[in-house]
Amino acid sequence: MSDGGGFRPRRFVLGQFATSDALLAATQAMRESGHQKLDTHTPYPVHGLEKALGLGRAKMPTIILLAALTGACVAYAMIWYMNAYDFPINVANRPPHSPPANIPITFELTVLFGGSSAFFALMGLLGLPLPYHPVFEAESFRRASIDGFFLSAEIPSGASPAEVAAAMKQHGSTDVQILEESER
Amino acid sequence: MASTSSVTVSKRDPLETPPLIEGAQTDSSLNSSLFAHVWAIPGRGWWTLFAIALAGLGLLGVGLTVTLYKGIGAWGNNIPVGWAYDIINFVWWIGIGHAGTLISAILLLLQQKWRTSINRFAEAMTLFAVMCALLFPLFHTGRPWFAAYWLLPYPSVQGIWPQFKSPLVWDVFAVSTYFTISLLFWFLGLIPDLAALRDSSQSPVKRRVYGIFALGWRGSGRHWAEYKWSYLLLAGLSTPLVLSVHTIVSFDFAVSVLPGWHTTVFPPYFVAGAVFSGFAMVVSWMIPARQFLGLKHVVTLRHIENMCKVILATGLLVTYGYVMEHFIAWYSGNPYESDMFFKVRQRGPFAPIYWLMIFCNVVVPQIFWFKKARTNLLVIWVAALLVNVGMWCERFNIIVTSLHRDFLPSKWELYAPTWVDWSVFAGTIGLFSTLFLLFMKFVPAVAVTEVKELRHELAHDEHPAVSVAGGGGH
Repeated sequence: MSDGGGFRPRRFVLGQFATSDALLAATQAMRESGHQKLDTHTPYPVHGLEKALGLGRAKMPTIILLAALTGACVAYAMIWYMNAYDFPINVANRPPHSPPANIPITFELTVLFGGSSAFFALMGLLGLPLPYHPVFEAESFRRASIDGFFLSAEIPSGASPAEVAAAMKQHGSTDVQILEESER
Repeated sequence: MASTSSVTVSKRDPLETPPLIEGAQTDSSLNSSLFAHVWAIPGRGWWTLFAIALAGLGLLGVGLTVTLYKGIGAWGNNIPVGWAYDIINFVWWIGIGHAGTLISAILLLLQQKWRTSINRFAEAMTLFAVMCALLFPLFHTGRPWFAAYWLLPYPSVQGIWPQFKSPLVWDVFAVSTYFTISLLFWFLGLIPDLAALRDSSQSPVKRRVYGIFALGWRGSGRHWAEYKWSYLLLAGLSTPLVLSVHTIVSFDFAVSVLPGWHTTVFPPYFVAGAVFSGFAMVVSWMIPARQFLGLKHVVTLRHIENMCKVILATGLLVTYGYVMEHFIAWYSGNPYESDMFFKVRQRGPFAPIYWLMIFCNVVVPQIFWFKKARTNLLVIWVAALLVNVGMWCERFNIIVTSLHRDFLPSKWELYAPTWVDWSVFAGTIGLFSTLFLLFMKFVPAVAVTEVKELRHELAHDEHPAVSVAGGGGH
C-alpha cells in the first residue's frame, strides 16, 4: 500500500440511506451524473443494484465452467494414464481403458474443481480475505451487515470530497461521512 | 422472480398458506432474535447435553483406540460377514447427510422459499454426518495411516496406482468431494452472517474472532454480484453431486454378485432412503432446537409440516424400492435371490430386524398423510426417530443379512457385534452431537442473511416500490 513516496491515504465518501429503494435510486443517479468508483454496501443482495452500479456480466459463471471442464479433463487423463498407459493391470481380461468405468470419478472431479473454484476463485476475484478497508473506519458502517444501506465513493487523489458528499446528500443520504485510510 | 400472493392476512384464511416468517419483523429484529442464541451464555440444559455428548465422544476414543491396538479383530466382523457395523454406520451417516444438501441445493434451485430457515442447520448436519461416516471406512482399513497409500493416486514407492474400475475407489472420490463441496458451500453462505456477527458483537474479542472468519466481508455490491453466482452454481453443482454420492455408495453393493446386493434398483433407492433418513434427522434435531434457540418465528409449523411431507414422499419411494427388490427376486426365478428375499430376510436369524425395518420405514411414515400428525410435534419427533432406526435396520439388513448366507451353506456364519462395535457407533453419535452443540453455540443456526433477504423480498412483493431502477430483471 505505502510505496517509496510515503503513505498517501485513500479517501472515501460514505453515505447511508434509509431504505434499499433510496439506495438504489441514489446509486443510479450518482452513476448517471458521472461519479466514478461507486460501491454499495448492503446486508443482503438487493435486486437491481448490479444494474444501478453499471456492472457488466458476472465473471464467476465462466470461471466455474472452465474449472469444471479442467476437472473433467484432469480426471479422465489421470485414469487413462494410471490404469491404461503407465501400469495396466489385466483383471479378468477387461480392457485397460474402459470408458464407462471412468465416468464416476470424471464426474466427481468435475464437481470438485468447479465447486472449489466457486469458492477460491471468488475469493481471488473479490480480493478477500481483506481484513482492513477504509469504509470500516466509520462506526455506523457496522450496520452495513445488519440493517443499513450504504453507498461509498472513492475520491481520486487531488480531488475534493466535498462535491461528492454534497451530491450524496442531495440524493437522499441520511448521513454522509468522509473517511480516510489510516496508516498501519 | 414470480410474485407470490400476499403472505400476511389479518384473518387467517384456511386456504391461504401460513407465513414463512411470523410477526412483523425488520432486519434489525431478525438480526437480534436470530443471533440471540449465539450471544447467550449457555444454560444448564446445554451443558448437560454437552456433557453427555462429550461422554459419547470419549467412548469413541476408547472404541477406536481398542480397534487400533488390537486390530479389526476387536470387531464382530468375520468371514463371510466381512462388512458389518463399519459399513452399516458409514452408509447410515452418509445418508443422513444428504438431506442437508437436498435442502440447501435442490430446494434453492426449485426456488422453495421455505428452505431458507432450515438450510444452515441442515448443511451443518451434512458436514458432521459426513465426518462421522468417514471414520468408518478409514478405520476399517485397520491402519488408517496407510489409507492414503492405498486409496489416493499419488506416485508412491510402490509404483502402483489405484484400480479405478473399483467402486470402492469411486467411493473415496465421491465422499471426499462431497465433504469438500459441502464445507465450501456452507462456509460461503456463512460469510455474510459472520460479518453480521462481527458487527453486532459487543466484546472486542468476539468482534476480532468473528472478524477473522468473516474475511473482511463488507457487503459490497460488486461482491454480491459475483457471490450470488458462486452460491447458485455451487447449488447447481451440489445437486447432481448429492445424487451421485449415494448412487456410488450403492454401487459398492450393486456391482457385486451377492444375492440381495446385485440389484439395479439400488442407486435411486439408496438416494431416496438417504433423503428419507436425512429429513428425519433434521426434524428430530429441529424440533427441540427451534424451541430452545428461540427460532419459532422463522422455523414455523409450516416448515415442520413441509419436512413431514418430504418424509412421507421419500418413505413411499423407499417402499417402492422394497417392493421392486422383492418383485425382481421372484420374477427373475433365481433361487438364490428368492431365498434371500423370501426366506432368509423374512424368517432367518435376523428376521426381527427386517420386520422392524418394514414397520419403521413403511408403516410409520404413513401417519403423515394426516394433518393432525404433521402438526403434532411429539408425534413427529417420535416418528422421525423411528425412521432413523428403520434406516439403520435397512442397512443392517442389506449388509449383514445378505453376507451371512450366500451361495454355499458351508460358508454360512452368524454375526454378532462386540462391545467395540457398539462403542464406536455410539461414539459417532457423541461426536455428531458434540459438533452440533458447538455449532449451535457459536454459529447462527439459521441463515440470517438469507432470512433477511427473504423478508425483504416478501415485503417487496406485497408493496412493490414504484420507482425501482432496473426493476424486472430475471
